[in-house]
Amino acid sequence: MQLSDLDPILRRVQKPAQYTGGELGSIVKKLTPDMIRFALCFPDLYEIGMSHLGMKILYALQNQREDVWCERVFAPAADMEEEMRRNGIPLYGLESLDPIKDFDIIGFTLQYELSFTSILNLLDLAGLPVLSRERTQLSPLVVAGGPCACNPEPLVDFIDLFILGEGEEVNLELIDLYQRAKKEGWDKPHFLREAAGIPGIYVPSLYEVTYHPDGTVEQVIPRENAPKRVKKRIIRDLDKVYYPSQFVVPYIDTVHDRAVIELFRGCIRGCRFCQAGFIYRPYREKQADTLDQNARDLCRLTGYDELSLSSLSTSDYGQLEPLMDKLLSWTDTGRVSLSLPSLRVDNFSPQLLEKIAKVRKTGLTFAPEAGTQRLRDVINKNVTEDEVMNTCRTAFEGGYTSVKLYFMMGLPTETMEDIKGIVDLAQKVVDLFYSMPNRPKGKSVSVNISVACFVPKPHTPFEFEPQDTIAQLREKQKYMLDCRTSKKITISYHDSDISMLEAVLARGDRRLGPVLLKAWQKGSKLDGWSEHFSMERWYAAMEECGVDPAFYANRHRSYDEVMPWDHLDYGVSKAFLVKENKLARQSQTTATCRRQCTGCGANQLLGGACFADHTDIL
Amino acid sequence: MQTIRIFFKKLGRAKYISHLDLSRCMQRALRRSGLPVWYTQGFHPHMYLTFALPLSLGYESLCESMDLKLTQDVDTQELLDRLNAALPEGLTAYGAAAPVNKPEKIAWARYEISLCMSQGSLPLEELFDQFMAQDEILVVKRTKRGEKEVDIKPLFSVGVREPTPQGLRLELTIAAGGETNINPALVADAFEKFTGIPRESMDVLRTQILTEDFALFA
Ligand code: SF4
Repeated sequence: MQLSDLDPILRRVQKPAQYTGGELGSIVKKLTPDMIRFALCFPDLYEIGMSHLGMKILYALQNQREDVWCERVFAPAADMEEEMRRNGIPLYGLESLDPIKDFDIIGFTLQYELSFTSILNLLDLAGLPVLSRERTQLSPLVVAGGPCACNPEPLVDFIDLFILGEGEEVNLELIDLYQRAKKEGWDKPHFLREAAGIPGIYVPSLYEVTYHPDGTVEQVIPRENAPKRVKKRIIRDLDKVYYPSQFVVPYIDTVHDRAVIELFRGCIRGCRFCQAGFIYRPYREKQADTLDQNARDLCRLTGYDELSLSSLSTSDYGQLEPLMDKLLSWTDTGRVSLSLPSLRVDNFSPQLLEKIAKVRKTGLTFAPEAGTQRLRDVINKNVTEDEVMNTCRTAFEGGYTSVKLYFMMGLPTETMEDIKGIVDLAQKVVDLFYSMPNRPKGKSVSVNISVACFVPKPHTPFEFEPQDTIAQLREKQKYMLDCRTSKKITISYHDSDISMLEAVLARGDRRLGPVLLKAWQKGSKLDGWSEHFSMERWYAAMEECGVDPAFYANRHRSYDEVMPWDHLDYGVSKAFLVKENKLARQSQTTATCRRQCTGCGANQLLGGACFADHTDIL
Repeated sequence: MQTIRIFFKKLGRAKYISHLDLSRCMQRALRRSGLPVWYTQGFHPHMYLTFALPLSLGYESLCESMDLKLTQDVDTQELLDRLNAALPEGLTAYGAAAPVNKPEKIAWARYEISLCMSQGSLPLEELFDQFMAQDEILVVKRTKRGEKEVDIKPLFSVGVREPTPQGLRLELTIAAGGETNINPALVADAFEKFTGIPRESMDVLRTQILTEDFALFA
């Protein structure tokens, strides 16, 4: 396709620059006969997908290879989709504008459950059957990876294979195998059988799932020599892994439009509700020098004037102070502003605090996650009320007048007292402000509390836990509003319907495939956007498929229940999850990995201890 | 410190870069080029960058310009080479010099317009002549204060009008800048209304920006 073919419709849509390609840093190649064409798809809008670091890494990495041309694909907004469908324009890659149905491999990144229907929609827009079994040819092969691949069972009807864990090595191995398949003329079943032999590749069609009469999984049986358990891949030496020196620089505004460096992967904390904290284990960090070089290259080649430090918890980075010194030695004069998300201010030295104070312009956010110390111990969120208060005091002294606090509701063992604790904590912050003689003069304080509904996730110690019912969540929300005592406190909370759907999809099994298909057929797509989301469609789809959402969301699962994802090995053992769940029930906390190894099992992915200065329990 | 006016073309895919996004895009290109661009002082230093006459989204242009300040003298050719090496596809700088005219002096802009529309009872060029023969050409113009009806006849003149296989090609000189700024789409809309023939599409290329006395804006 040529740009001129798109001209008539591009004139009629909003923000057309997201559909043209041609951005700085986008990679256009000359096609050769043995070139593998890879469509890297983010099943959400350009402005979201272009902000995603994993996508940038895989894009640049694959395009390093001469025999691969990797292109970007995003979900078109509603106006563009309508134009494409009306004018018979199939989904195309942004670099070549060629239809992706002619590509070799279509790869989706699975970042959140609410994007699942968009995958179906994109396959359909491409002109392909959405069902894997109806795509009988080897090409295009439809693959998917990313965090939600840790339980991909609801998607197995649509995706040919899943990539578990970090993609840098395994994607290239998959491409090598595909090259061989093309040369030797393999058919799709042959290819899939061979692919299942690559560590980290899960071919769901090679597994049969049986169920107990009560609906729980009985067993998952591998066929045709597929491995009994598929182990996720990690990059052992993160400091040596490929990192792009150039990003595609978008024209339109995107959510995060800036240079990013990746401090580390994994997390030392083990908050029991947090899936990322478990599925990305073990903790591995990059050297400050490497990061500094990454940052310099990126800023020079992209022209970005903002640099962000990416990780699950910036302050846990072991070399933060040297890194800040290195960065600040050139960012100031280079007029690059630093942004440090996921920052816990409590464990900082005064010197570091001062350095950071210079760069932090945004408001102050804090995530106590639960309203009482008891419940924070249950979830292993090691933030104390004193820490919150001390940080707020420093912030108020420094001129801040607004604080944002993040919480969850519906956590295991939660009572109404814990809900009240959320508002009480906010009130204490308000009181603190007015008790300070040196508070910002003539200003009033505002404390915003944002309360999400807890969604139990696979591979976490809470994978066994029921989610509160929608009625319970609404009652708690109402109670929380009643507890509010001050106008200085604003409360926002998540929609409990959406959280319930997330819970169903996150811990779903293969019987949700037909539900996804029905929901999409009824019009579900871009479910993360409130203007597109309709719970009614989902309820109708579940009902027509005979699926009870409560079975997935609100049921307590016993420790010995076979989970739909138990055959996917993310390093952390189930025994560890059970142990952690029991500790949670006793309000017992677990130390961070940096202080002490508590034997989760993830070190086996490294083949040694996670931290040099302590010996891991094996 | 000297102010420099850089002239550039905006063609192909670049026509879909909106005016707001163009400013950001240019700032990043200038940063990549390493040119000694002057920043404003103060708490949030930023590049001092101004564009002469906004171009509608979807239009191409041979004559865009932006003003900026350099902290050091740079040879014109070197400046253009370094900037061009940093610009994305579709944007090309072709001239740089100290500004001659203030942007307020802009009075006219010249456009090449290709209308893709079917023939009516008469050939399109004849219809266009009839359209131009009217005493006044009233269009509804949307402004910040609401809609108002204006006679645009005195606000544009026709250089070329010739039939093409797809429809009609026009070269128009249209009032630009300040209060009387007219988008070429208004002329096309009025013609469409006059003939009752809906256009399928319209390609617009801005070819020149002119001052009151029809000299090139420089
Ligand atoms: S093996 Fe030990 S140190 Fe490593 S991630 Fe697990 S608990 Fe932490």
